[in-house]
Amino acid sequence: MTAALIFSFEEFALHDGPGMRVTVFLKGCPLRCEWCHNPEGQRFENEIIKSQAGCENCGACLKAGGGRLNEKSVRACPNRLLRMSGESYTPEHLLERLRGVLPILNDAGGGVTFSGGEPLAHPDFLYECLALLEGRTHRAVQTSGYCEEEPFRHVLDQTDFFLYDLKLLDPALHKRYTGADNTPILRNFRILCDSGKPFITRIPLIPGVTDTEQNLTDIARFLCDNGVKNAELLPYNRLAGSKYASVGRRYAPGFDETVISQARTDIFRSFGVEPKVLWGDHVD
Amino acid sequence: MDGLRAELLSKSETDDGSHADFYAAALQTVDAALDYADRYCEFAKTNAPKTLYRALCRVPHEPPESFYEACVFLQFIIFTLRCNRNTHLGLGRFDQYMLPFWRSDLKKGLPEETLFETLEEFFISLNFDTDIYQGMQLGDNGQSLMLGGYDLDGQDRYNELSEAVMNASLELRLIDPKINLRVCSKTPAERFILATRMTKQGLGFPQYSNDDVVIPGLIRLGYAPEDAADYTVAACWEFSIPGKGAEIVNIDQMVFPKVVRRELFDHLEACDSFDELLEYVKLGVAFDAGEIVGKRSGHHYPASPYLSVFIEGCVQSGKDVSEYGAKYNNFGAHGVGIANAADSLAAVREVIYERREYPKKTLLQALAANFEGYGELRNRLLSCPKMGSDDDRTDGIARILLETWANALNGKPNGAGGIFRAGTGSAHEYYYSARNVGATPDGRKSGEMYGSGFSPSLTGKPTGPLSCIRSFTKYDMTRLVNGGPLSMELHDSVFRDEEGIEKVAQLVMAFIRLGGHQLQLNSVNRDVLLDAREHPEAHRDLIVRVWGWSGYFVELDKQYQEHIIRRTEFQV
Repeated sequence: MTAALIFSFEEFALHDGPGMRVTVFLKGCPLRCEWCHNPEGQRFENEIIKSQAGCENCGACLKAGGGRLNEKSVRACPNRLLRMSGESYTPEHLLERLRGVLPILNDAGGGVTFSGGEPLAHPDFLYECLALLEGRTHRAVQTSGYCEEEPFRHVLDQTDFFLYDLKLLDPALHKRYTGADNTPILRNFRILCDSGKPFITRIPLIPGVTDTEQNLTDIARFLCDNGVKNAELLPYNRLAGSKYASVGRRYAPGFDETVISQARTDIFRSFGVEPKVLWGDHVD
Repeated sequence: MDGLRAELLSKSETDDGSHADFYAAALQTVDAALDYADRYCEFAKTNAPKTLYRALCRVPHEPPESFYEACVFLQFIIFTLRCNRNTHLGLGRFDQYMLPFWRSDLKKGLPEETLFETLEEFFISLNFDTDIYQGMQLGDNGQSLMLGGYDLDGQDRYNELSEAVMNASLELRLIDPKINLRVCSKTPAERFILATRMTKQGLGFPQYSNDDVVIPGLIRLGYAPEDAADYTVAACWEFSIPGKGAEIVNIDQMVFPKVVRRELFDHLEACDSFDELLEYVKLGVAFDAGEIVGKRSGHHYPASPYLSVFIEGCVQSGKDVSEYGAKYNNFGAHGVGIANAADSLAAVREVIYERREYPKKTLLQALAANFEGYGELRNRLLSCPKMGSDDDRTDGIARILLETWANALNGKPNGAGGIFRAGTGSAHEYYYSARNVGATPDGRKSGEMYGSGFSPSLTGKPTGPLSCIRSFTKYDMTRLVNGGPLSMELHDSVFRDEEGIEKVAQLVMAFIRLGGHQLQLNSVNRDVLLDAREHPEAHRDLIVRVWGWSGYFVELDKQYQEHIIRRTEFQV
């Protein structure tokens, strides 16, 4: 039986697909986008998360862990401010967890969305979950699209709706800012377009990185070439760095966070793509 | 009121003398009120707009003939009752009793905008001179009104005036009047969307009441079906029948965590199984309910001839409300801290009985020591499933406690011609009754506040709004219609677009379909609250829901500010 680490459930997710949804966040991602706001979703291994608020600096965590934070520390904190970032679920266990709220989601025209991390980095687990939910609710996958062709096609069959990220079209820049090659991403995107499955394309507007005239033109053209008629633009979230300290890391993006995202919606319209800018600070 | 006066006179003349005191006192208060009205009218002749003067020439002596006159009349009654120290009375079903005036004015050709302005002016006037506790709890004044509602045959009584009230409240953004909305599983989605726009304003209303639950619940308690269908809220959330009840709806409280702690210290060590322990807790709940019955039976509503003349039955029978002249004379009691109690028992079951991770003695020592030196045990207790996370086993304990509470109190004669009724509210008891209760096995430390009303505890962070409404709708709420809402805090960003508003409306609809009795949502932003605590001068107009009422955040006592900040905020 497959299992995966889930690092968060978001009940009442408003922006992860149609209707009222529960989003399930799978832990582990092959990409390392500099602007990632879910650092606890990046590593495949479990790790310790510490909430800073409420800490009385009693030292119980370090004492239990022998000078470091480990699983013993998690059990030692008198205020329970430490936890393991991920909890292991089998698909059946996950279905149990969701069963109670499925009728509420279905009544409200929603369903379940798998996000991450990168859900496609757990293709077997993801496929089994989607198959278990077939006929029970509407199933969406939010993805960077980074995975092998075969598992992608496999998952595609069991998914009702995709939220698909496009970040940078230039291969070198993509490699530099996300640590990964964008060839499989673009290939899978074409497969998705050809499949006829409903999806929405999402483009993060990272100041000076993805929101450049060149990149947005490239993306708009790519969408146009693939017959895509609309896209959602996500202005940079200045709170992106807020969770890094809780996993003991430092947020150090290689771009200027203080610059406001540029949406350049005209570019999209000139390619026949209707852009929708989601909530956040931006200029057009 | 001239008619009322005439009725009092004729009654006193035909009376055999046994009710002479009541009639004399009632006449005296009515005369005093009319005398006051005359002086007011005289003053208005030269000091007020002509319209007000003209209205005062008519009301309160004669029945009002227009919506404007009806508002002046209503205002007069509210203020004179308040002079009589009848403070938390509520405005009842405003959209029902004011509707004839609204409609007849429209028929006479008055523009709707003029009527709407009158309505808004009336609402604005409710925000002056309402400080009951002098300097604290500003806003806790009982000026709640109820909109909508379904008749016994299912007919929807929400009307154009209900809609106008909603829109006026949306536009004014004032703490009074506090809006309550009667809904049921048949209520159309648009109404929930309009109501969610109101929640977005951040005032903490409307508060929803579910007719599918409340009406059958009141009938079960012995209210006549047509009266049950006419229910409103007294002031905060306690259901009552307008004009027919002199009910003391929060006469006392059952403090669940206190009972749990007491029974643990008395019986934990002797109980070999959790079920055995639970039996003791049930006996404890029943015992405390019995104490309330014993202590409060025969309690009198304060003598109040002026209030009595407005309560059906008193003038007819010649009996003051204090002599139980009203049709309904029931007493209600809060059920405080249910989540802390259920969480505590769930933790004891898991850690002590099922997994046997700690000896019973250690738990009791840890509680007595307020967890000082027992950090690991507290950590373990905090890790157990809490109410608000849709955990059937924890919620199952809550069900047993609530059933025991309802069975022990509901229907018990109150020695005042009525009965007791059980509820799920807390009012300020989440603070007051928590101060002297030591640490509890849910991980709560000594003196820490309980959750507000029928809500998760402050320590048991729910997994999300869906799990939370599931957790709080697994009970037969028709047995708990003294009222007391589930309160949930949603981050204000949830409401920022139409899509979010629609989804919040769907969340409310889900709660109603699942059989919840009462719900109250807040749009809050923790950062703003923290800033307001530090810099009150910059947040004078910040309004928050406190319990059954809304008030200005910066004017609240420290402990209430703290409670609001610590309540769960679901972020999206």
